[in-house]
Amino acid sequence: MNTTCSPRISAPATSGVTESLRKPLYNVNGNAEAYEVRVEMPGVPKSGVKLDLEDNILTVRGERNTTVPEGMKALHRELSPLSYLLRLRLNTPVEEDKMTAKLEDGVLTLRLPLKEVAKPRQIPVL
Amino acid sequence: MKLIRTNPSNLGRVSDFEEWFRHPFAGLPSLGHFINNLGEVFPGVTGDKLAVDVHEDKDNYFASFELPGLKKEDVKIELNNGLLTVSAEKREKDGDNESSYSLTRSVSVPDGVNVEAIAAKLEDGILTVTLPKAEHRKPRTIALN
Repeated sequence: MNTTCSPRISAPATSGVTESLRKPLYNVNGNAEAYEVRVEMPGVPKSGVKLDLEDNILTVRGERNTTVPEGMKALHRELSPLSYLLRLRLNTPVEEDKMTAKLEDGVLTLRLPLKEVAKPRQIPVL
Repeated sequence: MKLIRTNPSNLGRVSDFEEWFRHPFAGLPSLGHFINNLGEVFPGVTGDKLAVDVHEDKDNYFASFELPGLKKEDVKIELNNGLLTVSAEKREKDGDNESSYSLTRSVSVPDGVNVEAIAAKLEDGILTVTLPKAEHRKPRTIALN
């Protein structure tokens, strides 16, 4: 798996979070145009994903559908029933309005296009 | 010889599944894993054990596995000699980087499962295998004559 984690995106220390949530596995890739963040959230339906970008902190929440149908009982449990919470600090300005998110097979893929000012540029030598 | 089969849970009896999970060989990776033992050389890279949840209702057993990012074609489910084995293999290509991993898990299928009717579904990264109980294992009431 690609673990090229951009130094410009880092996970801020979670402070004051008392809910029972867990941090999902994630992966950040970047190029000159955009960052791509892939978050593994098995068990989360589309309706359970909440995204928020405020003060350069990107918050991804994934609510698992944990309602056990009536008459069903657990015999053996290894999977965590907890919902997911991931907070990432962005130190690079991104085009908030052009942000896209796609949930497929339990993996959320976010594309965060960089703002013009953040893109690398060539400086011609005169 | 047992004449009456009632719902074991009502009698406070340990169900076959639980009994089986306590079995020393329960949950051992499949034999294929040992033969194909890259996982032994690179632990955590390939052949990782897949976590499982088992639920039961009056008609079925349900085994659930987390397989985020996997497609139907990446998953193989086999039933062999009373052992249900789920294996998943995935190759990812991202520019110059290529990676692959495989996951496997075997669970023993209790007696009284209608093996012909086992079904599986992959949704939101969760694989659910439904193992219907055979008719004679379902709870029933016996009429007094």
